[in-house]
Amino acid sequence: MSARRLALAGAALLALSACGPSPMDPRRQIGANPYLPPIHQYLVPPMHVAKVIGWGDAKPDVAPGLRIEALATGLHNPRSVYTLPNGDVLIVESGAPPTVVNRPKEIVMKWVEDRAHGPIVPGNRILLVREGPNGAAGPPTVFIDHLHSPFGVVLVGNDLYVADTDAVLRFPYQTGETQITAHGVKLCDLPGGPIDHHWTKSLTASPDGTKLYASVGSNSNITENGIGAELGRAAVWEIDRATGAHRLYATGLRNPNGLQFEPQTHVLWAVVNERDELGPDLVPDYMTSVKDGGFYGWPYSYFGHHLDPRVRPQRPDLVARAIVPDYALSSHVAPLGLVFDTGTNLPAAYHGGAFVGEHGSWDRSVMNGYKVVFIPFANGRPAGMAQDVVTGFLKSQNEVHGRPVALALDASGALLIADDVGNAVWRVTGPSS
Amino acid sequence: MTLENPQSTARIGGRPIHPMLVPVPIVCFTATLLTDIAYWRTANMQWANMSAWFLDVGLIVAIFVVIAGLIDFFGDRRIRALRQVWVHGLGNGLALILSIWNAFVHTRDAYTSVVPTGLILSVLVVLILAVTVWNGWSMVYRHGVGVRPEPRP
Repeated sequence: MSARRLALAGAALLALSACGPSPMDPRRQIGANPYLPPIHQYLVPPMHVAKVIGWGDAKPDVAPGLRIEALATGLHNPRSVYTLPNGDVLIVESGAPPTVVNRPKEIVMKWVEDRAHGPIVPGNRILLVREGPNGAAGPPTVFIDHLHSPFGVVLVGNDLYVADTDAVLRFPYQTGETQITAHGVKLCDLPGGPIDHHWTKSLTASPDGTKLYASVGSNSNITENGIGAELGRAAVWEIDRATGAHRLYATGLRNPNGLQFEPQTHVLWAVVNERDELGPDLVPDYMTSVKDGGFYGWPYSYFGHHLDPRVRPQRPDLVARAIVPDYALSSHVAPLGLVFDTGTNLPAAYHGGAFVGEHGSWDRSVMNGYKVVFIPFANGRPAGMAQDVVTGFLKSQNEVHGRPVALALDASGALLIADDVGNAVWRVTGPSS
Repeated sequence: MTLENPQSTARIGGRPIHPMLVPVPIVCFTATLLTDIAYWRTANMQWANMSAWFLDVGLIVAIFVVIAGLIDFFGDRRIRALRQVWVHGLGNGLALILSIWNAFVHTRDAYTSVVPTGLILSVLVVLILAVTVWNGWSMVYRHGVGVRPEPRP
């Protein structure tokens, strides 16, 4: 009975949402100059999530010249991966922190989100996998337990930093250790609950190791929780490693993730999830270099000076200096992972370019994302069209095997992909390894 | 000559259900207009959130108000004979449709969840209610709809 009522409600919503424009070819929105259609504000946005069916014996498809195997399976919402200097791979299992309901809409949104993430209860811990000659030498073991919606990890010397959703913690680490039982020491608070809309905090360290960079996503789609909830958010924080003092390194980045230094120019890059509910092809998510003191538009404008009518009061002073992001990835692909190919495992064509993990859309009638793409780089800048590297996460428009999240390279230079609803970590290698 | 009033069919313990429940959507939709105006003037999201709750609570209770009202309408021919009843029913039906539309508009995020479409719809609904509520009072206080007849001396 309740299933039938839900189906009826779903059908009614579909009928209403069918009033929107039909999605266009995402390739028109990839690159430095994406086509931006007029704004369309829905009566009911098309909420389209696929049923999670897991992988079974299947695995993702890879581009010619590549191979893929699971490094670990049977996980509990693995969202990010990190390789230690001795080759051990850390897998961060994590789920969204509890949140508050401010208005009736959020009850429906929560239901849709739960459906998109499958039935597995997420871990809040970090696992360790030791790699053998061909993948994992054994099953993952618990490395650090009892974390609070962790995401980013970075090692500087013997200090292992973990970005929980509400703090950066420091753990002591000795090479070869397989478990840390010491309690983390808080280096710095990060904006967390009670509202914690975009909760994944990615983390990296400056090349000289003196600073940490943490990404802090916005606390709303477009300020609907009030501008006061956005203090310190939609930003990249620079945190002094010695003192824990922080400053806002860049702002106006709605939900930045995948902080990485580009290997040739040592410039900080991020992938950013842009705003929803302006149409199936607005606003394109993007990859961008992150400039010190830069403002990238959110919430007042997108892709430079395109005003968002939903924000009051407006801030023409900020919009005037909004930076146009470097490279659009097309709309609602939800990029959450970024890594530059600095290894020798993968074919030479990938060397120096960027891999991006696209978690996939939930508010577009035709799915977008659900794959790992590659963007070639030349002289530290994107140079060419994005190419599909790992696909097959979507079985159909209504069934999904898995969803890629954060990326890393392992010690051999193979590409690692955290797959949160597929509950696996995938390892992509070149033909010779 | 009979003094009997048109009687309510949907009753609890002899008390008509429709007038018991009808204040809830009337108050909710009127409050929506007030909180919409407050949001429009201040851009403080608290007011827009309150509008969304008022609208949804008003709509849920309105379902029962409509059911009780239709039962009364079909339950007594003398009710259907009153001209006010038709204005009352059709007007409230229109107000309800506009309020459903308004509830969807209020699911948008931030400013355009209220301004301008939501605010305009809230004004229209209250204007319609001013007429239909007046009609409703005429039905009860002038035509005695649902009022128990005077005991005969």
